Amino acid sequence: MVAPPDNDVLWARGLQFRHADGSPGLSGVSLGVREGEILAVGGPRGSGKTTLLRCLAGLIPVHGGEVWFNSGPLHTLGPVARERLRRERFGWIDPEPVLVPELNVWENAALPLLLRGTDRRRAKTAALEWLERLDVGDKARKHPGELVHAERQRVCIARALAPAPTVLFADEPTAPLHRADRRHVLRTLTTAARSHGITVVLATADPDIAALADRTVSLLDGRRVRTVHLPPVAETAETEGRAACSLSA
Amino acid sequence: MLALRLTRSARPAVQLRRLLVAAASAGTGFLLLGALGHALNHPDTPSVSALRLAWCAAPLAATVYFAVAVARTDPATRPRPGLSALGLGPARMMVLSAATTALACALGSLLALLVFLHLRGDLTGMPVDGAAADFLAAGRPLPLPAALTLLSVVPVTASLAVAAALRPREQRAGASRMARVYGRFGAYRRTPVRETFGAYGRFGSHLGGAARGGRAAGTADRSSRRQGGQEQPAGGTEEAGSPGTGTSPAAPPAAPLAPPSGLPWGTAVLAVGLAVEAYVSRTGGGSGTGGRAGALAGLALTALGLALAGPGLTHLCGRLLQAVRPGALRLLAGRALMTEAVRIGRPLGVVCAVISAAYAMTSLYDTDDPSVAPLTTLGTLLVTGCAVATLLTAAAEARQARALTTDALLRLGAPAGALRRAAAIRSAALVALFAPLTLAVAELSALPLAA
Repeated sequence: MVAPPDNDVLWARGLQFRHADGSPGLSGVSLGVREGEILAVGGPRGSGKTTLLRCLAGLIPVHGGEVWFNSGPLHTLGPVARERLRRERFGWIDPEPVLVPELNVWENAALPLLLRGTDRRRAKTAALEWLERLDVGDKARKHPGELVHAERQRVCIARALAPAPTVLFADEPTAPLHRADRRHVLRTLTTAARSHGITVVLATADPDIAALADRTVSLLDGRRVRTVHLPPVAETAETEGRAACSLSA
Repeated sequence: MLALRLTRSARPAVQLRRLLVAAASAGTGFLLLGALGHALNHPDTPSVSALRLAWCAAPLAATVYFAVAVARTDPATRPRPGLSALGLGPARMMVLSAATTALACALGSLLALLVFLHLRGDLTGMPVDGAAADFLAAGRPLPLPAALTLLSVVPVTASLAVAAALRPREQRAGASRMARVYGRFGAYRRTPVRETFGAYGRFGSHLGGAARGGRAAGTADRSSRRQGGQEQPAGGTEEAGSPGTGTSPAAPPAAPLAPPSGLPWGTAVLAVGLAVEAYVSRTGGGSGTGGRAGALAGLALTALGLALAGPGLTHLCGRLLQAVRPGALRLLAGRALMTEAVRIGRPLGVVCAVISAAYAMTSLYDTDDPSVAPLTTLGTLLVTGCAVATLLTAAAEARQARALTTDALLRLGAPAGALRRAAAIRSAALVALFAPLTLAVAELSALPLAA
């Protein structure tokens, strides 16, 4: 077991993961995330981006390989310790904004702080500050059911940023949004991360979004690749297939 | 056939719930047959038999209530995207759940018939043949059509109730998550508040709640309307969150902000019931059928009041729980209680009503003839059991409805122990509020009856 380089806040080597039904998830992914950088994990749907993020965040136990966080092994921790680590050091943004429907917006944003045991007033101040920064400050007393999708996603981002996590995992945070909303959400996310020195691991299938990041790691079929551009389909192959399926042929 | 296939491949908890429905149906069927037996044995006193038949309404109602709760929790008959794509949408699912309920209830009815025939001594070969031959009219031939009619009452009623409760309703349309209302001239309108000139011109009405710093007045109004609009067609047993089972996560179930409206009504009915009992005991002195009928009416009013007040009291409980500067634990516990007030509160109110009524009944009927005792005990057990089982089923339903949120909280790193503690706090708060209340109401209603 080799200790990882010191300047990497998160470091993984030879990650293996197999889903519960036996289908392959990750087969030998290695990467390092430097402190304060925004790392995009690219690749098409089904390439293992979400699985990689879940492994790195300790949501699921890896089946092989190592994950180190701040020079401490993460892959050997038990579920309780990983849960505490997630609560104290990590932030997570889902593709769908899943908020607690019975809490209002600022309570939702302050919930991770409250779960950490922060004073209520301080949690509220932090939550309101982040909501204001993400342009949903005027909706702070509404309930999530009264907000539109993009606003809810911004509330989710505020919820992830408010406790000032060391690493923020964003799993396709803009997938269900239109492009204008998408740009806004991403710009606020990246700006906030850079200004507060938060490390971001951002999974996205969109190369435009990956351009906002400092570095991009591409995955394909659970492996790290240099590029995801597939070779163009040969003309002959296409016509052959078409001819075989055609009724008139 | 599909109903059978889906019924067969279910988890043990679901099968247990269905078996409980079958058991409740069997008990009710047996009580109905018992009334028939009494009528056969005493052809000269039809009024007494009719009274016995009328008493069967309570277990019947409890059984149907329980069956509806179980059908609503049943994962097999929930609208599923895969089956919906095949054309097996909410409408067919309603038919499916009605069929499943009918199956369970018919099984129970069959069991009731077997036990009845066995106890009469018609079927032999078992240890207690003809043990209750005297009050089940053993000597007389059983009129089969009458028995079958009585036995079909439970399956038919339960299936119809399930179909009515689960009938497909129009989901909220995409962007507007408020109830669609038709404005003047039948036009679609997005604003549920009618904008007459007076409403607009009234001072400050279009400033909303911004001046007050709280929730917008229109929002509260809209949510209360939304809640009311969804409650009424379902006969008061539907809550705002439950049609959300088929919605995409993009449209989260709107949390009802306004408290349920039943609390004042419940309190009023409860007070009237207690007053009627007190009045009857003072004037009638418990003598004669008039006094007893009055006392029963008072008891029924008291129970109704408790059942009506249940959601409001649950909401109040949640509000108190999250009242003064709550941390994460009290916030989650209290708000969840406020959201689930209708779902949990109604069966809880029914349980309290049943318990207090049973307590008071024991003081009313302590000197009765012993021949009625087994059937009365069976009926009381049935009603109480159904009420408690409905409450537990509603709790399971609430848990199912919150599964998505719980998952998200766990991803955030919320400790699973904290969530469990929040649930424990919730239950403790409910017990702390409802147990003394039930005891007090039971004591109060037993006081004049015993005198």
